[in-house]
Amino acid sequence: MKRREFLGRAGAVGTLGMAGGLSAPALLSSVGRAYAAGDDIPVGLLFSLTGAVAVVEHTLHDAALMAIEEINAAGGVHGKQLRPIIEDPASDPATYADRARRLMIRDKCVSVFGSYTSSSRQAVLPIAEQRNNLYWYPTLYEGRECSRNIMYGGALANQQQDILIPWLAENFGSRFYMVGNNYVYPKEENNYCKTLLKVLDGEVVHEEYVPMGHSDFSSVINRIRAEEPDVIFSTLVGDSDVAFARQYHAAELDPAKLPVCSLTRSEVEVKAIGGEAAAGHFSSAPYFMGHESAENEKFVEAYKSRFGADEVTHFVSEAAYFQVYQFKAALEKLDPSNITPTGIRDAAVGMTMTAPQGEILIDANLHTHLWPKIGQWQSDGQAKVIVQSEERVAPKPYAAYPGQECTGAGLVKS
Amino acid sequence: MNSKLSYDIIGLGLFGAVILFGVPAFFSYDGFELNTFARYLSLAIVSMALALSWGTAGLLNLGQAATFGMGSYAMAMHLKLKASGDNLPDFMGWNNVEALPALWVPFNSLTFTLLAGLLIPAAVGGLIATFMFRARIAGVFVAVITLAFLVAFQLLVIEQQGFTGGQNGLTGLAQLELFGWTVDIYATSFYYLVGGCLMAALIFGLYLTHSKFGLVLRAIREDAERTRYFGYNVANYQTLIFCISAGLAGLAGMLYALVLEFASPTYMSVSFSLAIVIWCAVGGRESVLAAAMGAILVNLAEGRLSDVFVEGWHMMLGVLFVAVVMFMPRGIYGVIVDAGRALRRRGGSEEFAETPSFDTPLNTKQES
Repeated sequence: MKRREFLGRAGAVGTLGMAGGLSAPALLSSVGRAYAAGDDIPVGLLFSLTGAVAVVEHTLHDAALMAIEEINAAGGVHGKQLRPIIEDPASDPATYADRARRLMIRDKCVSVFGSYTSSSRQAVLPIAEQRNNLYWYPTLYEGRECSRNIMYGGALANQQQDILIPWLAENFGSRFYMVGNNYVYPKEENNYCKTLLKVLDGEVVHEEYVPMGHSDFSSVINRIRAEEPDVIFSTLVGDSDVAFARQYHAAELDPAKLPVCSLTRSEVEVKAIGGEAAAGHFSSAPYFMGHESAENEKFVEAYKSRFGADEVTHFVSEAAYFQVYQFKAALEKLDPSNITPTGIRDAAVGMTMTAPQGEILIDANLHTHLWPKIGQWQSDGQAKVIVQSEERVAPKPYAAYPGQECTGAGLVKS
Repeated sequence: MNSKLSYDIIGLGLFGAVILFGVPAFFSYDGFELNTFARYLSLAIVSMALALSWGTAGLLNLGQAATFGMGSYAMAMHLKLKASGDNLPDFMGWNNVEALPALWVPFNSLTFTLLAGLLIPAAVGGLIATFMFRARIAGVFVAVITLAFLVAFQLLVIEQQGFTGGQNGLTGLAQLELFGWTVDIYATSFYYLVGGCLMAALIFGLYLTHSKFGLVLRAIREDAERTRYFGYNVANYQTLIFCISAGLAGLAGMLYALVLEFASPTYMSVSFSLAIVIWCAVGGRESVLAAAMGAILVNLAEGRLSDVFVEGWHMMLGVLFVAVVMFMPRGIYGVIVDAGRALRRRGGSEEFAETPSFDTPLNTKQES
């Protein structure tokens, strides 16, 4: 066949295709099926069960699923059972976006619970906003976000640091050495820490960011030795944190003189680090497994009997757990024949409930009022709560940026 | 007439009919399903782009995801600027960047963005190819070099947070406006935009493989030395197909960023790049059409499997891939070709035995 002949044929096929395509009716069959029209209430669970962050996200999945099962066992909401629709986004943001569409558009979930990393939350955000759905995000995060479609259950910079930084300065000194992974959370936390240190006349002796998953800290430790700071302020996550803690211990740096204070180290990381190496260092979080309260005892016991005696609860899985109960309490306030994601959101604002960490409140800006604590790690892998905030602390997602505030009406700039 | 060509045209026609009519009708124009399928179609473009360099010219490019990522970032940069209005994009503030970097300024223009999404990947691909092929690097070393480039490039994107958004990528994008038409990714029109791009890419790809250019490329694949003795400038041919393949990957990346509404450094990950190779291998790397179908089928299987088996779908896909490589090394395409040949042989066609099989690489008799 001649080239011209081929082109002619190919062109004909193509033109036919295009013409057909354009003439096809641009119908959109999104005829609004009502939410929760059936006998049950569909809720999405979007935590990675495989891939890089599965170790942490699986615990969030377990905690949220356990709460759903508890609610169903107690008779559900309005006599309807919650129907968990489970997806595995495999630690990949593109898969998060894909599965979130499934849950929010196809399956008509009234809410989706999910995500540990910021990148996965941001992959879901545009879908939640466009479809006016509700995404319950249990993780501590960097703030500077003011979406009307995300319920933030984790701590913000001001909730983690307002009590912590003065306490560290008083007990150890105010020369900080900052080390974190290179992404947005450590940078924002450090930005906020610097504003607090400025007031205390503190000093940042060095600020260092290592790539995600980085695991050789010999040069960092050498530099720490040379700079002689008072406190190591760590925002390392996952494997990096585990490697750092082990190498720090192996280098025989004494936590009593030069403690590592982490915003991200929880019982999960300490389990991987080993109690011996973690002992004596600090973490700041609204919840520790060792926190003493009736609710926490119940939560830890239920979790252990459901998933195994050597499993741990931590500050993110606690939020994954209580957010389901917040969701349930909001549902109860609604007319069962008219359940919508935005209705749930509006009902949830201002609501209080007693979580394992203490009595929490959902702010108009959809973040949560929490109880900051400082824990010191013990050799048994548990944290001893040594400082507890005397009052509940309000969430300020724009704390580091004067003139901007996240309110119930969205972001307000003054 | 070349029988292979007529089969390809029939295949393309059928494929086009299914994609442009069958799929939308099957899903009864449901916005969600079409959006999901549009994602597969954009991935089909990057898969067929790999088939051009790998299947036709024998150059296994493991860095295809890098050029794909460039396209997606080009598109996302434009949409991010549009969403930010007169302000600086938000993530730059987080990283204490004071003014809009010079790299970002031209992406205010849509025309520049669309050109950049095609031409920057093509230029980068061309640059790497020039260095590789002028030095007569071939075989597994091409794969190693392109893979190394991919890893380095992804690291660069993640580390340069102030310019690229780092680990989180570019999120919070505006909707694309194309000649006054606001792109709604759940609309049927958007599906046809992606479908149209795929069909255009396939027609272009088929034209290339059946042209003399494609013939020389196949000759290079079979024996680069001998082709060189014939007087062809092998490096130039290799460089050009590399450029074209990278440009098409950039196109796919632009569409992908539109479908998912964000650009992420995970688009440039090694695992994603290897996934492209798998799609291509499952479909059959020797045909651009088969490679495109491979991408659609694998992603469709992934979607359906993960829907039914929430835990364990990864494992099933893995087993499937191993089975494909072991039992159908030339992919689905190879199976169809072999089946077709066996069928005709059973028909006892004397003439067929004389004719060189239609997938013989150096099939010069029919081409005129």
